[in-house]
Amino acid sequence: MAATEPVYEVELSCAVNGEPVHVRVDTRESLLDLLRERLGVTGAKKGCDHGQCGACTVHLDGRRVVSCLTPAVQAAGADVTTVEGVAGPDGELHPLQQAFIDHDALQCGYCTPGQIMSGLACLAEGHAGDDDEVREYMSGNLCRCGAYAGIVAAVRAVAEQQGR
Amino acid sequence: MSSPHADVQPVDTRRVDAREKVTGAAVYATDLHPDQLAHAVLATATVGRGRITGLDTAAAEAVPGVLLVLTHLDHLDLQSPGFVMGGGYGVQSLQPLLDEHIAYRGQAVALVVAETLIAATQAAKLVRADYEPEPFAVTLDSPGVERLSQPAVIPLPFLADLDVGDAESAYAAAPVQIDAVYDQPAQHQNPMELIGATVWWRGDTVVVHEGTQNASAIRHGLARQLGIDPANVEVVSPYTGGGFGQKNSLQIHIAPLAVAARRLGRPVKLVVSRTQLFHHTSFRPASRHRIRLGADEHGRMLAALHDVEHQTSRFDLFPMMYTETTARLYGIGDFRGRQTFARMDTQSPGFMRAPFEHPGVFAFESAVDELAYAAQRDPLEFRLANDTTADPVTGEPFSSRHLAQCLRRGAKLFGWSARQWQPASMRADDGSLVGWGVAAGAYPASIVPSAAHLVASADGRIRVGVDGHEMGQGIRSAIALLVAENLGLDVRHVEITVGDTRVATQHLTAGSWGTASTLGAVHAALRELRKQLGADVSGPVDLAAAVGATGREHVESRAETLGPGQTEQDAERARQGLVALAGPEFTGYSTFSWIAHFVEVRVEPTTCRIRVPRVVSVADCGRVASPVTAASQVRGGIVWGIGACLREAGEVDPRYGGWLNASLEEYPVPVNADIGTLDVDFIGEPDLRFHPVGVKGLGEVSMVGVAAAVANAVYHATGVRHRRLPIRIEDVLAGTGLPEPRL
Repeated sequence: MAATEPVYEVELSCAVNGEPVHVRVDTRESLLDLLRERLGVTGAKKGCDHGQCGACTVHLDGRRVVSCLTPAVQAAGADVTTVEGVAGPDGELHPLQQAFIDHDALQCGYCTPGQIMSGLACLAEGHAGDDDEVREYMSGNLCRCGAYAGIVAAVRAVAEQQGR
Repeated sequence: MSSPHADVQPVDTRRVDAREKVTGAAVYATDLHPDQLAHAVLATATVGRGRITGLDTAAAEAVPGVLLVLTHLDHLDLQSPGFVMGGGYGVQSLQPLLDEHIAYRGQAVALVVAETLIAATQAAKLVRADYEPEPFAVTLDSPGVERLSQPAVIPLPFLADLDVGDAESAYAAAPVQIDAVYDQPAQHQNPMELIGATVWWRGDTVVVHEGTQNASAIRHGLARQLGIDPANVEVVSPYTGGGFGQKNSLQIHIAPLAVAARRLGRPVKLVVSRTQLFHHTSFRPASRHRIRLGADEHGRMLAALHDVEHQTSRFDLFPMMYTETTARLYGIGDFRGRQTFARMDTQSPGFMRAPFEHPGVFAFESAVDELAYAAQRDPLEFRLANDTTADPVTGEPFSSRHLAQCLRRGAKLFGWSARQWQPASMRADDGSLVGWGVAAGAYPASIVPSAAHLVASADGRIRVGVDGHEMGQGIRSAIALLVAENLGLDVRHVEITVGDTRVATQHLTAGSWGTASTLGAVHAALRELRKQLGADVSGPVDLAAAVGATGREHVESRAETLGPGQTEQDAERARQGLVALAGPEFTGYSTFSWIAHFVEVRVEPTTCRIRVPRVVSVADCGRVASPVTAASQVRGGIVWGIGACLREAGEVDPRYGGWLNASLEEYPVPVNADIGTLDVDFIGEPDLRFHPVGVKGLGEVSMVGVAAAVANAVYHATGVRHRRLPIRIEDVLAGTGLPEPRL
């Protein structure tokens, strides 16, 4: 066994919120742990580490993924966007972030980064046509505080602003 | 004199820390990554009970990057923190990793620390333990469960048997009777933020960052465990990612982390995995309730007997207060309450949102519904006819009770008058069975010693350091609104520090006493600040000008407050990190929060799937301290009630012990698509007899009665009564007489 110790480390290049990242990663490392423990990008949260709660949702090349089930190596060459990359460079909130504030779509805030990233994807996918559709397409993101009504209202408000 | 604030805009009532939360800027305890951080992972026991006979950590220690493997062989030299409900600080009295005994499956047997999380995870899996297993019990019906009457083993007045009048005789004589048993499972709080901490030493001071509801218990408990001065423990918890009772005391990993951090001379972080979490900290104990109710022919309730047993661990008695609340719901003259422990082999159970009131009131309000039907009455009218203004237990008045108003307003908002009384009589256009249910809820009002420190600055801003924790309930918003309204300030000029032992005591925030207790202290500190500034006792204050006029940069005020009837002894308990609670019985009155819930369910007739398209809830929580966050609290409570009624149960396997469904996949909590329209309203009458600004509690009462209203609606839809939670498809299928599905 010892003679054939597996090689766990590889070089990875990607972009996180527009910033280039070059790092050696363990092939067993999740994108979530890379972001949080190696890069200090802690907006994405760990709620289960099993893809069951959605708190770690980020965008990989514009598509929502649960970063806890995404091997870090899968981000090679990709654009990774986390909640920290959503507001404008001057700190101006994205309309969905503002809608979350206006509709009190959060309580403890721990699931909120994942909700925002899923909500953005839900809008981009065209899955915000009515309340029930939003409920369905936002159901991969648990909110234990139970802010679901506000989350639906916030996503719908932005959908209406966008004329969907 | 014209006010300089005459043009002040209406106060912005939105959540004050929402911006940090929607941008990812809010820093939770395990978001920290200080230099030289090491990562910890737990290895846990794989027997239901027993003794470790051999422990092999060589393979774990050989993993590259592993720094330390702590087990009971390492002589951690830790004292027990004591149980938080037994005069101590800990989530349980048993501190793992101290000896070879295993009290429950999932108990920690090793703490592995490594340079990386990957290495720690790999190494933890390589820790090998051999066990000599012992018999164990994990359900209320298991052989080996030990039953103890609560008053016999904890002779404290507030845990005594409840005997008002002669309930047995009154029940026996009642012409209409209900005698039913309601079973409720263990449940797990599952806040989204995993339990975890980042711990390091700064000289002789240990610094603990952990999402908590009780920084003070961590401080004093850890000091006791390590044998150091509490002044050398600093606890910081600005944001707690949901608590729901699970984070209400010192967790069992903190002391071992402190030992590891000291031995390594480095910061150490642990994030307990979701699966381990089910075994690592508290949970709602399973409980069984026998309710006997008697009424006369006119629908007047005459007698109630509530006998309850709930599980506890072998090493702690988690006290129960189910009957305290069920005895107050109605004006029933003869009431008997009996409460019994069932000791078994799990970690110690503890508080989970509406810890006794949700299960107790589910049982009681289900029975009341059964009694209303047995008496051929409308369940709403039946409840209104049994209202009371006096506390039936003490005979004293309630300081406020607007339950009837909650019921009437809720009924109107819901459209209750269109309900058909006959069960299984209402159908939707798509053929679904429609059920409308109602239930009342109550929660005792408590209050604790609190402290506030205000610093007003010449730039017109004010800093507020307070005794309290923000778990998402909105305590920051309630404080900011009180200060802003009191002084006529913009809420953005109020800066608040909570959950930090460096600024205030940090008494446990739980039991819906947080906002009332903290606001009392802030209110008193504001009065003192006005004196310091030479301002009038009320009305807007131009803070910049007033501070400027003193010639100083800052003007400070402090206040320490007590609940009604509390003394310096209570203040001292709080300073020692202990729970120091007053209420719900005060001299001359009792105080509870009240709520009414109206629920519509739709039951799909072939699959028997239950949906909850709409809920109306109206609460009496006194003055609504923060309207936006209060409404969210109630909506959250409704979601919890739906989860408790239709989804959530911790499953145990009597053959192996431990929790079987220890993940968010197999322990389903409500998802977005489970929740329909939630209409929330408040009575909004301040309770000034109880509290200086009229605030009662809200977070817990929100959940109380929801499960009963859902279950009562399921009965109305199907004609079948379900007395065991959660109510699942197979239960409804069995009840309808439809053929069982073939698998």
